[in-house]
Amino acid sequence: MRKKLEGNGLWESSRMMLPEHKVAINEHEKALRQRQRVELDEQEWEQVSRSVTESLQQRQPVTLRLFHPAEELIVSGIVDRVDQMKGRFMVDGEWFAIGDIEGADMEE
Amino acid sequence: MSLNRVIMLADCQSFYASVEKAEHPEYHDRPLVVAGDPERRSGIILAACPIAKSFGVTTAERLGDSLAKCPDLVIIRPRMQLYIDISMRITNIYQSYTDLVEPYSIDEQFLDVTGSLHLYGTPEELAHHIQTHIQSELGIYTRFGIAENKILAKTACDNFAKKNESGIFVLTKDRLHETLWTLPVAKMFMVGSRMTRHFNAMGMETIGKVAETPLEKLKQLMRRKFGKNSDINAELYWRIANGLDDSPVTPGTHSVAPKAIGHMMTLPRDYGKLEEIKVVLLELTELVCQRCRGKGYMGHVVSVGCMGADYDHPTGFNRQMKMDDPTNVTNQVYRAAVELLLRHWDGYPVRKVGVSLSQFSSDDEYQLSLFDPHRDKTMALERATDAIKQKYGDAIILRAVSITPAGQALHRSEKIGGHYK
Repeated sequence: MRKKLEGNGLWESSRMMLPEHKVAINEHEKALRQRQRVELDEQEWEQVSRSVTESLQQRQPVTLRLFHPAEELIVSGIVDRVDQMKGRFMVDGEWFAIGDIEGADMEE
Repeated sequence: MSLNRVIMLADCQSFYASVEKAEHPEYHDRPLVVAGDPERRSGIILAACPIAKSFGVTTAERLGDSLAKCPDLVIIRPRMQLYIDISMRITNIYQSYTDLVEPYSIDEQFLDVTGSLHLYGTPEELAHHIQTHIQSELGIYTRFGIAENKILAKTACDNFAKKNESGIFVLTKDRLHETLWTLPVAKMFMVGSRMTRHFNAMGMETIGKVAETPLEKLKQLMRRKFGKNSDINAELYWRIANGLDDSPVTPGTHSVAPKAIGHMMTLPRDYGKLEEIKVVLLELTELVCQRCRGKGYMGHVVSVGCMGADYDHPTGFNRQMKMDDPTNVTNQVYRAAVELLLRHWDGYPVRKVGVSLSQFSSDDEYQLSLFDPHRDKTMALERATDAIKQKYGDAIILRAVSITPAGQALHRSEKIGGHYK
């Protein structure tokens, strides 16, 4: 009961919404939050490939930001393998697409 | 108003009827209504266009009564999905002016435009701009209540913007005594006919009278009428009357996890036999469980309600029980629902049935039950039927009882909110 007086309670307790309308609103919101791919320029690419190579050759942990349509995806660890043919790399036994990389930081 | 927020409540005039008029330009100058069931004179009016209203046609009256007042009436069958789609397009238009948009119903939305005003001038100018935008793009007339918070914006829209020439009204705090407070208490938000009578009996005939009553006094007066637990409602009415509301315009408000998921249905006729009621009970349980499964919830408490047709002599019950374990398996919930029905049904004919599930937990993990060794199989079956329905519609796969005369599932799958899609 008290909730009516707090936050958005007055409006949440009094509104009339069709479940189908709610679904449409939530899907629309999700679509609005969809992330766009970031295009890297040459310099950024160079920095990314330097970090990945360094991690691969010197077993240094690296933090990579990857594209994901709905959330911020960060992969951190040591790059175990790079498969140029298939455009992918492996961290901790899991393959990721090289094309998805949006940024890299070496861990100090 | 510069230091305060600027909130708008935008409302669409005769929404369903306006959508249909925009879709049917040939009816532009004719009186038009959207009626629940055009084939039946007892169907009710869901929306009437301003021309129809000028003949005295009102929302919620029976089609037969409207036809008596206006024999030339154009009657349209509702298309609920279209209205939802148009409502979303309107949301999109609002969102091109501010990211703070909160749909409040299918035809009313709150906008916080505080941060956009520097681009458009005064609040009235911005409202006029949006109003023109929607009129030219969708052919729908919108009205704007503008104020420093949501309750005043809603009040401004309902009581003033809907009645003036421009469809735009700014309600400022310093003018409440000559605007809001002069109105009869029946015009107050959240006050219906019952509460109006109570306020009048307490000597409060205008909203101003409620506002000027000290909160403690109002609590006392209401406690005398409604008992100890009325303090919160007293404070609610007092705040509404005084135009106090600090709730933010909350765009994400509809993605908040629900506390309960339920479905209710008004039956086409009275159901008097247990077997008949059990059929709709199963159909409703299926819908509720299907929605829970879609969201990944299991419910622990099931409640069942049945009501008779005669509103003057209410019969029926609304009871709940806790099941042994949380579940979203239709047959398990149905078993509990039937138990409630058998225990509490008084034998009188039933016109309205509802089922709901609450006290949710996630269905990622569940208690292994000694008594249900087939759980994995049942779940796989439910998942498969849900997927089929998702793809081809609810009517594509049905329980056998649903094709008996008592079944409503086929009928219901053609509807949204009880009206035709």
